[in-house]
Amino acid sequence: MIELRQLTKRYGDTLAVDELSFRVEPGHVTGFLGPNGAGKSTSMRLVLGLDAPTSGQALVNGGRYADLRRPLHEVGALLDAGAVHPGRSAYNHLMCLALSNDIGARRVAQVLELVGLSGVARKKAGGFSLGMKQRLGIAAALLGDPGVLMFDEPVNGLDPDGVRWIRGLMRGLAEEGRTVLLSSHLMSEMALTADRIVIVGRGRLVADATVAELTAGYPSLEEAYMALTASSVEYGAAR
Amino acid sequence: MSVLAAEWLKVRSIRSSHLIVGIGLGSVLLAAGLAWMAIGMYEDASPSMRRSARIAELEEVVVIVPQLCLGILGLVSWTSDRVLQTSLTIVPRRWPVLMSKAAVAGGLGLVVGAVTVFGTFFLSRGMLAGRYPVSGFAESWPILVPTSISVAVFAVLGVGLGVIMRSTAGAVAVLVGLVYVIPMIGGNLPEPWSERLGSVMMGALPREIAGASLASSVYGELLSPVAAALVLAAYALLPLLAGAWLLRRRDA
Repeated sequence: MIELRQLTKRYGDTLAVDELSFRVEPGHVTGFLGPNGAGKSTSMRLVLGLDAPTSGQALVNGGRYADLRRPLHEVGALLDAGAVHPGRSAYNHLMCLALSNDIGARRVAQVLELVGLSGVARKKAGGFSLGMKQRLGIAAALLGDPGVLMFDEPVNGLDPDGVRWIRGLMRGLAEEGRTVLLSSHLMSEMALTADRIVIVGRGRLVADATVAELTAGYPSLEEAYMALTASSVEYGAAR
Repeated sequence: MSVLAAEWLKVRSIRSSHLIVGIGLGSVLLAAGLAWMAIGMYEDASPSMRRSARIAELEEVVVIVPQLCLGILGLVSWTSDRVLQTSLTIVPRRWPVLMSKAAVAGGLGLVVGAVTVFGTFFLSRGMLAGRYPVSGFAESWPILVPTSISVAVFAVLGVGLGVIMRSTAGAVAVLVGLVYVIPMIGGNLPEPWSERLGSVMMGALPREIAGASLASSVYGELLSPVAAALVLAAYALLPLLAGAWLLRRRDA
């Protein structure tokens, strides 16, 4: 479970996350939506302890992420698929991450197989397409077989086949009882993948409901999203 | 230990690290080339000039190459890590990542330093003996050991500078400044500042540690062996500790 309590992050004058509170429960895929700059990625960074909150708390399974000793076993995350060294092979990339959390070569081979990259495991990641890098990032998130997973726009750059694969993977991971938080801008895809939706705008919570509840009053999830975030899409506007 | 293994694999699995280490080790060949040129000059000289022929200790001349190479290896291990955010995510206590990078760079520096310094010593002395007056191993090893260690010091210094500056270009500029620019400026300062600044330069420390003369160089020789050893350690540790402190306070 992921829990945000009155979470606030300020960068200089910019209030990126503003007293944001919500819970992501295990057993279903939770979609994380919001316009660019709404604070989705910042919230994920705060959960992972990459940035320190100005105030409030971000908890994973009831504790602070930073207190975990081998976090890959509890939380897997894909924040930036481009975060690979272009000269390092896919296998060595995963090994570098696995070693630091006492994960062995056998598991690295397993996740490579799972994401369909076994055939290019010894190829340099610099030559990978964005879709292949997304698969590599997902493999890294799955290394420790964690109960909590966070994916920041994993569908970007994937071909239709890959999009369908991600949908099945996400739903399968949730059905196994894991907590899955998934951010994306593709509304139609989100409607097919997620059961619950959290929408943020300008760092604040806009909606926290099931897909069924959101679409009840609107023709589609996209229409619901547009209506709910209409007042939140003033990029860089003064608050 | 597991973080150390991860950082060691990070360095090993990139071709550029092999290249950098290779160039550092190649400085032995550079020294051999210099010795070969010196032999040619000796052969062309008149008998009276031959009697007064002198040559600098080549391992102390070319050590600047492995120093800079390992310094760069150390700093790019931070600035060009590419998976640094991921590493800091999956190792939430950040200092093990920093210390492992320092240990990997420092360990490689020690090996490369020892191989190049001692290799250059034996190769160049073998080539030059009989023509130029050369020092023997018994009197030279107290200088060779701290000269080898200075390569490891540069590697750890590179890691520290990388964390502090978070910029490859900026940190390289500082490294080159420390090896080359500041000693040159220092050598042209009025006394006593030239001697004082020259005594704390990295190039002066191995001989000060050994208690050997530095009279014919831009460097000073004011420090006692113990003080010089402490300054050498400070070059490695102060930037690293400053980096560790910064790492605790700022967002990744």
